Amino acid sequence: MSFEDWIFAIHLLMAASLVGALVMSWILTVALRSVDTAGTTLSFNRVAMLGATILGVGLVGVIAFGIWLAILRDTFHPWDGWVIAAIILWCIATAAIVRAFAEYRKPAERARALLASGQAGPDPELAALNRTTTALLMRALASAAIVLIVIDMVYKPGA
Amino acid sequence: MPELLAAIRPAGQDFPVLLHIVGATVVFGALLTSAISLALARGEIRLLRLGYFSLLLVGLPGLILMRLSGQWIYQKQGWDDLPDQLKDPTWLKIGFIVADGGAILFLLALVVGGIGISRLRSGKGGEGLLKVTMICALVLALAYVVAVWAMTGKPGQPGAGAAATPAVSAGNSVATVTVTATEFRFTLSQASVPHGTVVFKVENKGKLAHDFSIGGKTSSLVAPNKSTTLTVTLEAGKLLYICTVPGHASAGMKGDLTVR
Repeated sequence: MSFEDWIFAIHLLMAASLVGALVMSWILTVALRSVDTAGTTLSFNRVAMLGATILGVGLVGVIAFGIWLAILRDTFHPWDGWVIAAIILWCIATAAIVRAFAEYRKPAERARALLASGQAGPDPELAALNRTTTALLMRALASAAIVLIVIDMVYKPGA
Repeated sequence: MPELLAAIRPAGQDFPVLLHIVGATVVFGALLTSAISLALARGEIRLLRLGYFSLLLVGLPGLILMRLSGQWIYQKQGWDDLPDQLKDPTWLKIGFIVADGGAILFLLALVVGGIGISRLRSGKGGEGLLKVTMICALVLALAYVVAVWAMTGKPGQPGAGAAATPAVSAGNSVATVTVTATEFRFTLSQASVPHGTVVFKVENKGKLAHDFSIGGKTSSLVAPNKSTTLTVTLEAGKLLYICTVPGHASAGMKGDLTVR
């Protein structure tokens, strides 16, 4: 394997981590919608935090190694239309993921406050925070952007 | 399975590749969710259930999509039509081992986890069985990382600069054939050559990297606007020549050379 092959392999491993963690975040988002107790919310939050770490590593790694690859390869360039489109979509996905992450901190904070005050039972406010529409929309936007990146990478319009 | 992102493919292969990637990443995401949820459950029933049902309801459909689209790509790229020595290179074998061996482990994890969930429901424990599911999911997630590396890095595939040209001893009569590679065809300067040592000068005038394989020997991968030579001793007969880059032979980069 050449150096370029290694960069390509790491780029795709980062992409797999990113999309895999996004799939994971969707599973957690759907499961969390029926949760209304502080203990379970924090249990889900533990899993979500690890998922968010994998997502973050994937997001940073995929763009860094992707641009490096575009510089290394004779057949592609960072200024090619489909590469620029991917970078713009990556920016949109990153912004949406950061916004969704901020929204999902709210139920975790509420759950910690409930446990601190000794309330372990169901809480309507916590249930509402776990069903947040803003975070759902942001996650949907991020997913749409990442699906478009994958389509762009596979079809390479204009290449 | 073959050829993923960052490669320009012959027409008709993009859609199965897209489906394969979607399937693979869905399985990978479900495996991550399952392994992490089960590892961090600490007896929390909902997390144990999440760990199992993410495998069953998300991972299994993803696995089926990945495997079927992988087979579709295999068929589209014409791997079945290649000579035995070129069929199923190391990287492709790794892909099949992970996909098929992994599917067995995946089903085992589902069966064991299913029993675990059933025991949890009836209050007879079951956490130990779900730990087995967690270990299987973790092993599978790691195996998928190896598969992604193999599919992209393609270990065992001749790389740029790989030496495949033995020296020609002085005094032997040597035929020289110029092979011009473009997308997706070869043009040879001669349609037939005398048997014995033949030097193929491979010139890549296309936009993608190509190689040239004949008589059990394969040239190094030639970048666009570069060339290489391949020296082969050929017996009389009709010999198949191909480009071994996945999908290129099925797209037209193959033919027969008559050796007199």
